[in-house]
Amino acid sequence: MKRHLPTALFLLAVPMFIYSVQRIFLNTPIESKMGTVQKIFYFHVPLAWIMMALGVACGIAAGIQLRRHSKLAEATSIACAELVLVTGLGVLITGPIWGHATWGRAWTWDARQVSTGLLWIVFAAYVLVRRYGAAGSDRLAAALAIFGAIDVPIIYYAVKIWKTTHPTTDVVGSLPSQMWNSLWVALVALVAMAVALLVTRIRQEMNAIALDDAWIAFDERTRAHGGSGGAA
Amino acid sequence: MSFEEPADDQYEPVTGKDAQTVKCVRACEAEAAAKTASDYEHVVWAYGVIWALFCGFGVLLWMRSKRQEADLAELKRRLSP
Repeated sequence: MKRHLPTALFLLAVPMFIYSVQRIFLNTPIESKMGTVQKIFYFHVPLAWIMMALGVACGIAAGIQLRRHSKLAEATSIACAELVLVTGLGVLITGPIWGHATWGRAWTWDARQVSTGLLWIVFAAYVLVRRYGAAGSDRLAAALAIFGAIDVPIIYYAVKIWKTTHPTTDVVGSLPSQMWNSLWVALVALVAMAVALLVTRIRQEMNAIALDDAWIAFDERTRAHGGSGGAA
Repeated sequence: MSFEEPADDQYEPVTGKDAQTVKCVRACEAEAAAKTASDYEHVVWAYGVIWALFCGFGVLLWMRSKRQEADLAELKRRLSP
């Protein structure tokens, strides 16, 4: 069952995506103040929630990896960080597109935009350090991931603490039922897709770690026997 | 197709709207149409970006898995007697 989890989630996500778009455009009323462009909300907001959840998960996994040297935690933190980059880029592009239509400006340097941009940069740095860092750089990488996770509550509370052009978090709770239901459908589709990609990426990273170990063992064995080996 | 003339007591003359009202309504309609068209353009871009990102990441995963398969095959080849 576990083996087929990503496929099952992917098979759930695709029809849910189609259904959510159909629902958003045909069965959800047009918001009175912003008009049609508000329909960006149904994917922008769930994507931001997923980005923040992955950021926290990456910070926790990196902390566990630092303490216990767990390979699963290492693979999970790398997979989460890469997906933070994907979902974060989605949030950082769809937000300004929505802002351009609603506020007349794509980027207003408000606290939520800046803290989200900072999160993306921190996780980009994490991925780069993990990929190109020298031996022992995993401690620096873990510190970056933990810093990124701490940035998540700052993103959430930015609209409450500072005066921003970005709508507050209360907007979601005050939605009429039709809009609320459409948001849930889009959220399920995006969560299913994100988890499918996350599980696939974790398995891939676990395989990569196992393969690296196998190459090292092969090299050591070849050297011990005086032959010529070498990792690809 | 045949038209029946209305009886005299049912006759209502067409009055229409004055030119200023018509001009004002048309301007509002044009503005609303332009706003809706612009909104749809923004929505299509936003949805397109999200789907493209997920597809791009999926392709990246697929390419990585192909590289891993090749790496594993190479290791197996070297290990085989």
